[in-house]
Amino acid sequence: MRPYTAVLIIPTGVGAAIGGYAGDALPVAKAISQVCDRLITHPNVLNAAMMYWNLPNTLYVEGYGLDKFSAGSWGLRPVHQNKIGLLLDRGIEPDLRLRHLQAADAARAALGLSFTDYVITDAPLNVELRNSSPGASWGTIGNPDSLLRAADILINRAGAQAIAVVARFPDEVDPQTENNYRQGKGVDPIAGAEAVISHLIVRTFKIPCAHSPAFLPPPLDSNLSPRSAAEELGYTFIPSVFVGLNRAPQFIFEKSNQHPQPGDIWANQIDAAIAPVNACGGSALLSLNQQQCEIIVVEDNQTQLQVPPEPLGIKSVRVNSYLEAIGLIAAHKAGINPSALTSNIYPLHSLRNN
Amino acid sequence: MTTQFISVEIDLQENPQKLQTAIEIELKKQGEPLRWAITSVDAKQKKVKVEAVITKNSYDLTAKSLLI
Repeated sequence: MRPYTAVLIIPTGVGAAIGGYAGDALPVAKAISQVCDRLITHPNVLNAAMMYWNLPNTLYVEGYGLDKFSAGSWGLRPVHQNKIGLLLDRGIEPDLRLRHLQAADAARAALGLSFTDYVITDAPLNVELRNSSPGASWGTIGNPDSLLRAADILINRAGAQAIAVVARFPDEVDPQTENNYRQGKGVDPIAGAEAVISHLIVRTFKIPCAHSPAFLPPPLDSNLSPRSAAEELGYTFIPSVFVGLNRAPQFIFEKSNQHPQPGDIWANQIDAAIAPVNACGGSALLSLNQQQCEIIVVEDNQTQLQVPPEPLGIKSVRVNSYLEAIGLIAAHKAGINPSALTSNIYPLHSLRNN
Repeated sequence: MTTQFISVEIDLQENPQKLQTAIEIELKKQGEPLRWAITSVDAKQKKVKVEAVITKNSYDLTAKSLLI
């Protein structure tokens, strides 16, 4: 039996009502993972700072790798365990750095994860944040070469198979934007810059990577939204990143794939892709539209963008909610036309044969 | 290497594949695309706005020997 494989996409930094905050799409991923054989999704969906949920049939794929996978350029090869290299921004204060090193020690002792020795970048990364007019957060980093030199050491000297990056982010985020985020509204102001950091490493070294920001602890907020609460539990957001990277699939490449393995996954094996209805303008979804997969767009996961599938020419099925999407996937997997589950089944008509 | 945020306007194409290709060609005129997304669509004017982070002056992997 062909394994039913789905891709769950919730773009980062666009204010998704579900998945735009602190791991608040993790229940969606967990529920979808129960109706498919394999679920592929990305750190924005699975990371909940100090909280995580290990989903055995779910593959943690960073956004740049997900774009390449969706385009058919890269494949995924599941692993039992990666040796994680911890990369720390020189801009992190010594006490905060120690908190992150202790998180790595805790992951080794309590979860049995495997790490190389760590590296501190040779210069502060100098992350800069930016918000664009339609409501997407973006960012750049001042010292990308320093980031890549540190990753180079972890991979080529220490033998890291996946990279966990912790960059010091500015404490001076726009107060209104930050307040909205903590109340479960608006755009995550740092998400765009986070994506740039992990994209740089994945593009350059073609191995799994994910990022966690370092901040000084925020002031206590009695009106905190549950959607943002996972990021207020401690001194670091890194534990969920470690758990994701531990079993993140390695990337494989068509030209060098001389020894294919039974578990390898390529884009032409995707059966369904699920995305918010008005955030359909990413590379992955445009690519998946060219595959034989059902694209399901969810109307009640609104974002700050207005990029629905239809004007782009993406063929999709609209559903109201993730609950409905889960039903559609279950029917698809069972080989059942979803209309058979409704009261309206129309008669067949004769086709003209001339 | 430097990272730079850019915004470009692209004509809507007849299918998503051609649109994706047109976006990548336009972005590559300014650098190596790292992350991009269509952030708005104007169906009347048949335009999309694309926001992206590009890189310039790629990192030299062969320089790693200097570090060791």
